Amino acid sequence: MNYSIEAENLNLWYGDFQALMDVSVKIPDGQITSLIGPSGCGKTTLLRCFNRVNERYGNVTTEGKIEVLGKNIYDADVSLPELRKAVGMVFQRPNPLPISVYENILFGLRIHSPMRSITRTDADEIVEEALKSVFLWTDLKDKLKTRATSLQLEQQQKLCIARLLPLKPKIILMDEPCSALDAKGTRAVEELMDILAGTYTFIIVTHNMAQARRVSKECIFMLLGELIEHRETQALFTDPQHEKTSDYVHMRYG
Amino acid sequence: MNVMTTCALRKQKLVSQIITFIFIGIVGAPISGVLQKTYAADTEAASAATPLNTLSPLLDDLYTVLSISFVAILFGIACAFYLQEWLPQTNWVRRFIESVVAILGGVPSIFYGILAIGIFFTDAGTLKTVGIVRGPQDIGDGSALGPLSFQYDTPVFYIVVLTFILMVTPMTIKTTQAALRSVATPIREATYALGASHWQVLRRQVIPIALTRILATGCRAMSSALATVALIFGIYIWQYTNGPREMSNRFILFLSGALFLSIFSSVLIKLCASASADPTHPTR
Repeated sequence: MNYSIEAENLNLWYGDFQALMDVSVKIPDGQITSLIGPSGCGKTTLLRCFNRVNERYGNVTTEGKIEVLGKNIYDADVSLPELRKAVGMVFQRPNPLPISVYENILFGLRIHSPMRSITRTDADEIVEEALKSVFLWTDLKDKLKTRATSLQLEQQQKLCIARLLPLKPKIILMDEPCSALDAKGTRAVEELMDILAGTYTFIIVTHNMAQARRVSKECIFMLLGELIEHRETQALFTDPQHEKTSDYVHMRYG
Repeated sequence: MNVMTTCALRKQKLVSQIITFIFIGIVGAPISGVLQKTYAADTEAASAATPLNTLSPLLDDLYTVLSISFVAILFGIACAFYLQEWLPQTNWVRRFIESVVAILGGVPSIFYGILAIGIFFTDAGTLKTVGIVRGPQDIGDGSALGPLSFQYDTPVFYIVVLTFILMVTPMTIKTTQAALRSVATPIREATYALGASHWQVLRRQVIPIALTRILATGCRAMSSALATVALIFGIYIWQYTNGPREMSNRFILFLSGALFLSIFSSVLIKLCASASADPTHPTR
């Protein structure tokens, strides 16, 4: 089996507080992997390590090794823009940029290509393709010049996914992508992930265990900064090996 | 509100704010300067022997005031960007400057006026002579008859500049930082996560979003600089001249110019702000 992310002995501190302790994990290629665990257990921290966005907060010390697509991302010669281009991220609250739908989708490309190198026809095609792959094209094809922040939340979240696609990422990180959506929106996003899963590797942080069971093939349980169990989702839920996992998935935790 | 129009409205707002800024900073100043010069001849002829005349070098015209505050504002904006976007919050330089700015920015502008009067005027009400040269009619005993002219490379000029910088810069730094902070974190996060560099985040998202507020800040700071100068002028006349007759032309002209510019800019800012109020996307 191929792995798109391999982390080894990852330790992370926010100041004096150790948020991740000796985490070693292998994320398989082209699947949906979910991260579950109570609040403050380091799920989001781990997720944010994979494209190094957490370094922006300052005061972060990281030790260990993460290989993304065969390259250690903590090497000195790693270019952060290139890394983040390959590893896209969807956030908890939909955060489309306050510009038009059209420009939102092209934004990533415009950042990574020289000025005026994208022609109008190319741009139109890229936007259409990206919107079609998240099934927004029919809804939005007449609203391309609308400000993206005025869309419905569900559409916004799908747009945030669509925004990553023109950059052709290999991995998409999702930080509780459905927590701001209603049941219908959640379902739409889950279906979308399911369809895109073959092409992209998804890692999804979720508080909703039912969601983890529905969407993911493998599941990782974390507690207080440690990785407790990493197994196939069905096995983890029906037959947890670890007592703490069993407590959590049977809702006996806390 | 019709969603199709929101982008257009945002652009409109930006354009009109830029126009205001330029109008006040560049176009407005020469206009008032010219206006004042037309009257200046009058004033000088009518009251050549009054102390009021000695004030003319300092407050040469609105143009000096405006161009100095324009520079001070640009300086303040640059400082705010550096503090907010480049220095980490824990940096002691940033903490020090921010606390100084908080103190200075909270001082009512009249105190700067009083400070300036203390620095610029002698007890007799004439300008301290550093940097002031008398005209050809000078008879040398201090009871000046000839007009004074202002030297732009003399200490007094720098003191004027410093007072304005002291007054305008903290105000600008404070409000520009607030404008930069008002750009929501999710927007920054989204831009970083797409692989943008620090500069790209600033240029493509933060600056366009914060620009209207920064420009409004600039307009307000310039208006308040004008108001303070008008105030110094008023206090000076109140204290050192003999009556309302001498207070006439020049002061009233300056005051009305300042008043017009401040009212004009604030009305325009209000209009722009209400036109672009976008209920679907609060600025935060």
